[in-house]
Amino acid sequence: MSVLAEVTGSIGSVGYGLAAIGPGIGIGIVFGLGVQAIARQPEAYNLIFRNMILGFAFAEALALIGLVMPFVYGT
Amino acid sequence: MSQDGQDHHDPQNVAWSIVSYLLSGILVWGGVGWLLDWWLGSGAVFTVIGILGGCGLGIYLGYMRFTRS
Amino acid sequence: MTAIALAAGVLPAGAGTRVFAAEEFHAPGLGLFKWEPLFNIGPIGVTKPMVLAVILSGLLIAIFWAAFRRPQIVPQGIQNVAELGYLFIRDDIARNIIGKKGDKYVPLLFSLFFFIWFFNLSSVIPFAQFPVTSRFGYPAVLAAIVYVTWVGVGIRTHGLGGFFRAQIPTGLPKAIYPLIIPIEYASNLIVRPFTHSVRLFANMFAGHLLIALFAITTWHFIVQNPTVLGFGVGIIGAVMTVVMTAFELLIQALQAFIFTLLAASYIGGALEESH
Repeated sequence: MSVLAEVTGSIGSVGYGLAAIGPGIGIGIVFGLGVQAIARQPEAYNLIFRNMILGFAFAEALALIGLVMPFVYGT
Repeated sequence: MSQDGQDHHDPQNVAWSIVSYLLSGILVWGGVGWLLDWWLGSGAVFTVIGILGGCGLGIYLGYMRFTRS
Repeated sequence: MTAIALAAGVLPAGAGTRVFAAEEFHAPGLGLFKWEPLFNIGPIGVTKPMVLAVILSGLLIAIFWAAFRRPQIVPQGIQNVAELGYLFIRDDIARNIIGKKGDKYVPLLFSLFFFIWFFNLSSVIPFAQFPVTSRFGYPAVLAAIVYVTWVGVGIRTHGLGGFFRAQIPTGLPKAIYPLIIPIEYASNLIVRPFTHSVRLFANMFAGHLLIALFAITTWHFIVQNPTVLGFGVGIIGAVMTVVMTAFELLIQALQAFIFTLLAASYIGGALEESH
């Protein structure tokens, strides 16, 4: 069976690009909803900020692991 | 970080600090795991454990540092 | 025309030949950032980014020299405008982030902000068209200056041992300290200058590549190899070039501001008494 389409070159960069979609959306949701919550109840700023940062850290972790993995697996 | 009682942690600094902690955790403990792998010759087992562990430690450090004033 | 332009060194060596000679569309790559020397001073080849850096630095020094040469109590003309810039750095960045004792570092922050902003602006100035800060050497040296400054300030404030002790976070369970401490030191002393410089460099690098990509698209599909279908793509390229230039104007000022803000934050963090 002949090859119809092929991806050549660095597939690590394609892998990182795909891996960055999820955290991008996730961080957007976290900060968007956090800003909305602050707008609704400004006196709860500290509480909301702390939880926002926690959510951001988890989402960002996945993006950074996606950045590092292509180097671990090599080509 | 100013002395006039303003917001103690500027959100931009916090965000970049957390990225920096995560990256450092991954690099430091991933590096330690990689060295262990190279020494013991066990493929990529310890590297992956080091990366995931370093990631978790980075999250823990960011959480401890920035969610208590 | 290509040969003359290349010989003058005002076209990047990699992109020039392929853009003007190609029949197919070639997107710009890293060759866009490779410059042949215009002339040689001794062993050093002077390239276009270096000439741009010197010209922009001279322009910057001339502007602020003229503004503050004979300062009046009630500012007039150019002193008025320059004071806006100075007060922006002093009030919104230095006093906001560091506090009153940041006044000592306002000259450094002021220079950083305006140098970086002018170097970034050269991306959209006609005939220059190349952001000087997209050569990694420039942000690297500026970040190194900030690094030496805040480490020096920290060591002078807390003493050598105190500086390293002040970075250890408090209030964690004792058993976890050996795991956390390498991360803290690596993050502050190694990753921090790296992200500081790479943030500026990557933004300018990517912005320049984007504008070049859309400009080359416009050129290729409208002038060099026009077809009926391709003409629409060329029009889109022209519109996107204008849009990306406007976006780049925003990003240039923003990146200069963020660089200076973080520099002030690092210096302020080093000046804090207790952790």
